[in-house]
Amino acid sequence: MEKRPHALLLKYPGTNCDAETARALEATGFATTILPVSRLDRDHLEGVSLVVFSGGFSYGDYIMSGRVARLITEQRIASALEEFRDRGGYLLGICNGFQILTQMGLLPAGSLVHNTSGRFICRWAGLDKRSDAAPLSFLPDHFELPVAHAEGRFVTADPADAERYLAEGLAPLTYTDDINGSFAGIAGLQDKTGRVFGLMPHPERFLHRADHYDPDWDGDAQWGWGYHFFRSLHAAVSASSPVPCPA
Amino acid sequence: MPNATYEIIDRFQEAGPADRLLYAPLAGNLTCRQTRLYHFGFEGDPDAVETFVRRTLLDGISQELHHGEEPALTGFRFLIDYGMKTQALDLEKETIKACHAGLGDAGFSLTQLTLRTRVYVFGEGAADPAVFVRDICNPAIHSWSVVAA
Repeated sequence: MEKRPHALLLKYPGTNCDAETARALEATGFATTILPVSRLDRDHLEGVSLVVFSGGFSYGDYIMSGRVARLITEQRIASALEEFRDRGGYLLGICNGFQILTQMGLLPAGSLVHNTSGRFICRWAGLDKRSDAAPLSFLPDHFELPVAHAEGRFVTADPADAERYLAEGLAPLTYTDDINGSFAGIAGLQDKTGRVFGLMPHPERFLHRADHYDPDWDGDAQWGWGYHFFRSLHAAVSASSPVPCPA
Repeated sequence: MPNATYEIIDRFQEAGPADRLLYAPLAGNLTCRQTRLYHFGFEGDPDAVETFVRRTLLDGISQELHHGEEPALTGFRFLIDYGMKTQALDLEKETIKACHAGLGDAGFSLTQLTLRTRVYVFGEGAADPAVFVRDICNPAIHSWSVVAA
């Protein structure tokens, strides 16, 4: 019998980071299934501990990034993801996945809009860990990951809301520099349960040391920060009780 | 046939350099903003159309809804209103129609849907709309019009 925690990675038309995200999940101990959303129903959440939304351009970012993915997911499984979270399940959104989780209302209220530059950015970003979060526990206070997005500027209806998220520990990850105009420099958010986490940077793109741009990088001999991100998440998921099946 | 037009504006988008829309930068100090225009032909409840727009097309945190054909922004030098030709495949339109169909009974039937982008150009200095049309619009797939202030 499979003893590894089971991660379900949802793939939408336009999702393009599913393979490397699945590779990162497998490398850190998850049994991983990639599921096209066209086949998704509530039964697929049975036995799953973690639902992952990976990066890409779901539905061509039509209307706004993550919007159509939200609508389609709601049409297929309605509120099953909220129920999954309430039963103890974990949800992770990376880049476009973060945009989808935000659109779904599974994270503190906010939106990810076009960068202030009006341009797509693809670079490495310095990051500050501001508070404890399941995927960050094995990471240092300062680290770096690649980013690649056009709509990565996190905004809230009132800028004070973003500051409040920082104060309340709901924004555990911020950019070291202002790269996209995000309020309070927010790069990652978690919900109040601590089991829903979204971030714009791509941890799956820095799984191995060799992924780093600097061959003399002064870090782990084998692994990149992304590996420790997924390893942290694996530790948190493994330590929690298995997610019971719906009645 | 009833119809309704909505223009969606990003609240947090400030006017940025217009040069970013062009292959070669212009002299002068022009800026631009973009909005999206949705024109619905429908049969049924007009309130249901707006409910659909607010649920499907509008982000309540980062966007504002403007009703009608009149330009939502003011103070521009000119605007370019462009979108896919009626005979061209517009995948975004098809996606919105699929979302409408997926709702089952949305309270109205969709008889026509047209999506347009509006590029507003602001500022001083030489500003030839033809340069913008040349670099933004593709005659093979787009139709467009230029509206002077």
